[in-house]
Amino acid sequence: MTQQESVTQRPEVSAPEPWSFPEAHTALLANGLGVVTYDIPGQYVISVRLAVPMPIEGEPREREGVATIMARTLDEGTARYSAEEFAELLERKGIALGAGVSESGLVVDVDVSKRNLTEALDLLSQAVRGPAFLAKEVSRHVKIRLAEIDQERAQPGHRAAIEFIATYFDADERASRPTAGTKETVSAITPKDLAAFHAANVVPSGATIVVAGDLSGLDVVSEVERALGSWSEASAELVEPREAVRAADAGRIVFVDRPGSVQTEFYVGCPGPDRRVDGGWATYPVLGFVIGGSPSARIDAVLREDKGFTYGIRSGFRPRRRGGMFLTSGSVRADSTVEALGLLLEILDKARDGFTDQETQAGVDFIGKTAPGRYATADTVAEEAAGLSLEGLTTEFTTANLRALADVDAGTLTTAYGRYVTGEWTVIVVGDASLYAEGVRGLGLGEVTVLPA
Amino acid sequence: MPLDYQIAEHTLANGLRVIVSEDHSVPNVTVDLWVNVGSRHEAEGRTGFAHLFEHLMFQGSRNVASGEHFSALMAAGGRLNATTWFDRTNYFETVPRGAMDLALWMEADRHGYLLDAVNQENLDNQRDVVKEEKRQRYDNVPYGNALIDIYAAIFPKDHPYHHATIGSMEDLDAASVQDVHEFFRRYYGPNNTVLTLVGDLTPDEGFAAAERYFGPLTATAAPSREPVAPLAPLSEPRRDEHIEDVPADRLHFAFRLPVDDTPEFFASSLAMDAIGGLATSRLYRRLARREQIATSVSAHAMGFVDGVSLGFIAIDVADGCSADAVETAACEELARFAAEGPTEVEMESAMAQTERGWLSALASQEERADHICHHATLQGDSGYINTFLDRLREVTPDQVQQAAAKWLMPQSRTVVAYLKQDGDAS
Repeated sequence: MTQQESVTQRPEVSAPEPWSFPEAHTALLANGLGVVTYDIPGQYVISVRLAVPMPIEGEPREREGVATIMARTLDEGTARYSAEEFAELLERKGIALGAGVSESGLVVDVDVSKRNLTEALDLLSQAVRGPAFLAKEVSRHVKIRLAEIDQERAQPGHRAAIEFIATYFDADERASRPTAGTKETVSAITPKDLAAFHAANVVPSGATIVVAGDLSGLDVVSEVERALGSWSEASAELVEPREAVRAADAGRIVFVDRPGSVQTEFYVGCPGPDRRVDGGWATYPVLGFVIGGSPSARIDAVLREDKGFTYGIRSGFRPRRRGGMFLTSGSVRADSTVEALGLLLEILDKARDGFTDQETQAGVDFIGKTAPGRYATADTVAEEAAGLSLEGLTTEFTTANLRALADVDAGTLTTAYGRYVTGEWTVIVVGDASLYAEGVRGLGLGEVTVLPA
Repeated sequence: MPLDYQIAEHTLANGLRVIVSEDHSVPNVTVDLWVNVGSRHEAEGRTGFAHLFEHLMFQGSRNVASGEHFSALMAAGGRLNATTWFDRTNYFETVPRGAMDLALWMEADRHGYLLDAVNQENLDNQRDVVKEEKRQRYDNVPYGNALIDIYAAIFPKDHPYHHATIGSMEDLDAASVQDVHEFFRRYYGPNNTVLTLVGDLTPDEGFAAAERYFGPLTATAAPSREPVAPLAPLSEPRRDEHIEDVPADRLHFAFRLPVDDTPEFFASSLAMDAIGGLATSRLYRRLARREQIATSVSAHAMGFVDGVSLGFIAIDVADGCSADAVETAACEELARFAAEGPTEVEMESAMAQTERGWLSALASQEERADHICHHATLQGDSGYINTFLDRLREVTPDQVQQAAAKWLMPQSRTVVAYLKQDGDAS
């Protein structure tokens, strides 16, 4: 019986053990390539990330998407091997190689079992330094991107995101158009464009290679030196980043008609800070969690757990290189569109009145105490380090932010939120306009523009 | 050489199997519970119920308030959720070591005393939430119902895998509080559950904690049924065609496969990789690289326990190209692979990619706990994570060829086609 009683006794939670972000070791090769390694015992798949700063504002206006197509064709044939041969070399060694582009640059990622790291670095080097950009492969990837654009437009979440940047940013800003380009610009891309863009941007100086995993018994810097030490190209010209301008008429509602939709997708945003914000970044992930980070957060407490309108709506502050955004997105049952949108904006606006100590503490604890688990694998550590390197930061930033959580209180949250959230929302609604556009207009939240499907 | 993740196992008097995998690399513990019930156990007219039930497990129990499972554990630094699938339901959280006892206490409370808190209001609310999950994932996106169509087309009407885990709107509407009570009493209980703890603890600590919180629960679950009889491959092709507002024609080729955790399943899985899963696969090489009549090819083998598994290949037809031509070419490649078997390079590649994928999966405590629990629950093997790669390496090219010749022949395919409407102007 004593056991039976002990079960009803709720256990106390004891303080977490001390933990720190895995320690970085750095080196700089003569060609300007930075090397950052993290030895994480027990991580037998090594994660390699090569991050090359390459702001996409540098793409020619009529060839937007050239950075993305370049990234996707790096391993589609090189100076030495055809596309098929190269793919076979990767797969026989169990190497996963991919590449992608963000507003700040190119990241080539390689995951490989520890014993094949040498081969993986060699193949990474060949892909990055000697891509062939064969006409057949380039036109194939252009077609794949065109098909992808059709797919994205058909997905309500993607459709909302595309319309959001078009509405939010000034039309002259690169940020107002998809990173991977539009049909018009992608269709125009040629092998010559790729070669020129590659030569001008993919250079070792200023780039960083991150290697994370169980590195015992390996001399990683020598391995990287062997693979990439002889890579030397002229430095790329990097312009100082600036904050993209928000459109003068961004504070409005755009209703994208999607006839027959059984749900309505919302995408709501306003300005936010970047990582270098005065007062520190640590506050902002906490705000995101408290407002829209869990089923108990403010939004889902009402729209999911009380009303049953949604499977879940998420909020978060998204830093850009300079400036950022506070975004909220998710979908609701179609016939709840008008009520749900009214409630959502009310919750977001009302948050300016302040936050409780209890919800603040829950947010601080969640962000801080989940860190050991969120950064437990080679993959997540390498991802964090590579992403930050494109912003000119290191994982010291991550560590400093986790430490700064100790100073975040309800007052900090309220001040930080009020600083950015002024009620001037850019709102995208993707749903059946014939049924709900009038109702949305009736909410009196501002101008509503209906766009055809 | 086998992997050497530490595995210790102990069964409580009430039948709860407890597995502990000690790993002090991070000061966390993953608590993972697998209950041997999934949509394959659902009665006719109650599809989607196992999953709806899983949602109710977050709506409070005897000593835990509605929503508190999320809020209390997240505030203690927990990351948590639950999933339901054909074969099983699982509940999991990764928490700092100092919150492990709270996590176990909360799990024991809902796994033992859920029914104290279930009521019409939280059933109605979560029914609405689940319907929105269905609309978001299946009904409001192009091709969203493709898998549901595949299950319905390839498995017989009364088969456990004929209907998808998400169920139907009508059946969700029909679910009652009474159903919740019956389902809980029949399937939930320590004797139908496996608890895995991975992380910063010793086996003795884990077994003692399991005993402390789960020991008092009684073995209430009914004995689980035996797996249903094996299904043979189809002898005639089946086709299910949908003309819809989709951005591109997409063909899904589905095949029955042997049950999971058998050399035949491993062989058919390697065959799927070589045919459509690798970047160097036969279908990708021919359809996407050389002929450029497809823009993407992917292949998956999903292992099940009830007499059959499922393999499927999805192919996006390139704009302006013929879906029929793609299907004809794909059938030629299937027949050729079944006749020739894999090349040495295909075997090497499929093995190497599977190995890296497996090591990546085991890299996080959460996924490691999930794989341990999976095979302990469904195959009775708590050491699977350490032996899988060695067992896979024992598969010979001949076995891969035989698996393809038996299961992956063109005449055994079920094609679920989503085709663009005529005159589509996109």
